Amino acid sequence: MVDSSGTGEEPLADGFAAHEPWAFEEAYRRYGHLLYSTAYNVLGNADDAGDAVHDALARVWRSHNAYSRARGAVRSFLTVCVRNEAISRRRAQSRRLRLEDRLAAEPEQHDELPSNDPIERDRLRAAMSRLPDEQRAPLQLAYFEGKTHTEIAHELKIPLGTIKSRIAIGLRKLAAALGGTRE
Amino acid sequence: MSELGNFEHIGDAADLYAVGALDDFEQAAIDKHVAGCDECARLLGAAEARVTVLAEADARHKAPVQLERRVVSTVRARPSRPRAFIPAVAAALIIGLLPSAYFWQQNQAMHAEMAAQGDAMTRVASMPHRSVAFTDMTGGAARVMYSPDGTWYVIFIRGATRALSVAWMHDGQRTMLGTATPHGDAAMLFLPKSHRMDQLALLDGEQVVAEAQLAY
Repeated sequence: MVDSSGTGEEPLADGFAAHEPWAFEEAYRRYGHLLYSTAYNVLGNADDAGDAVHDALARVWRSHNAYSRARGAVRSFLTVCVRNEAISRRRAQSRRLRLEDRLAAEPEQHDELPSNDPIERDRLRAAMSRLPDEQRAPLQLAYFEGKTHTEIAHELKIPLGTIKSRIAIGLRKLAAALGGTRE
Repeated sequence: MSELGNFEHIGDAADLYAVGALDDFEQAAIDKHVAGCDECARLLGAAEARVTVLAEADARHKAPVQLERRVVSTVRARPSRPRAFIPAVAAALIIGLLPSAYFWQQNQAMHAEMAAQGDAMTRVASMPHRSVAFTDMTGGAARVMYSPDGTWYVIFIRGATRALSVAWMHDGQRTMLGTATPHGDAAMLFLPKSHRMDQLALLDGEQVVAEAQLAY
């Protein structure tokens, strides 16, 4: 086992791309809370969130060409892997469960991160609310409701190509408003 | 050209992928393309970084301790296969066994396949299309995404273990359209066509293994 303490982003990304076990473990230690929280925000359930994180990471681990250095930061790559896994589970669940069943579920007790600042929490929604309607609506349906671009186009009665460009523009504005992208 | 740059590859579909607005089949098709295309990997990485800014702004749940144990045990239980010998084997093949013409041919085939994948990505991500699952597919799942006017078809197979032929079934006949060859556990075939096909079949050799009924 390589001692990875103090490893920077670049060596971690190199190790991750080379499929080194220490890099996978270190990546989880660094980003585990972000990954879990991301899954939890989509699924609203601790067990499902844990399964989504585990299964997404296991799939990346089994696949030898999922990540390359060209992809950029390991943190971003894993966050989107886990989020897409969670969204996929939510879509499958919503096909299985009726809405009433979900509403009847007991609220869970949950540990929250120490930096849990209510103002910080609302930054995303506040930034979202400042987007023009034409960008906010498709982005909200995609990001918060996990709908596909085909469903969004159908719901908003807007062509697919327009949905795609509005989501792309809205996402750029939102990321810039929240402090820009970090690599 | 799209506003994001090269529209021959995944283009704005990078943002749809990152924000979670593609279905499983579309995601898998992009994964497959990006694994062999650094340009699109960079585009997708940039979109993923933007979505991560959103995810970080909304991160407030602490991961349970047992999840780390679970992840670590999965990694340790299934160690990475040794890869160091792969370049050595490749070098031996290149130098000693295979003529360069073979590699030129392979390279051309790879470029043609990537161009077809890029074309398929563009259509699936940006044009109105219909999507139908193949029925009776055992040990995997397959779907055809196609334009309502029948001008293009993308067949995507997950869990593919061997190449499957795609045929148009019509008037008691079978017209072979092409072969979907797996890379990893996924196979894709892009078919630009000029007519509507209402019944497609997947064949393993001569045996029909799945069928799809298309509506227009």
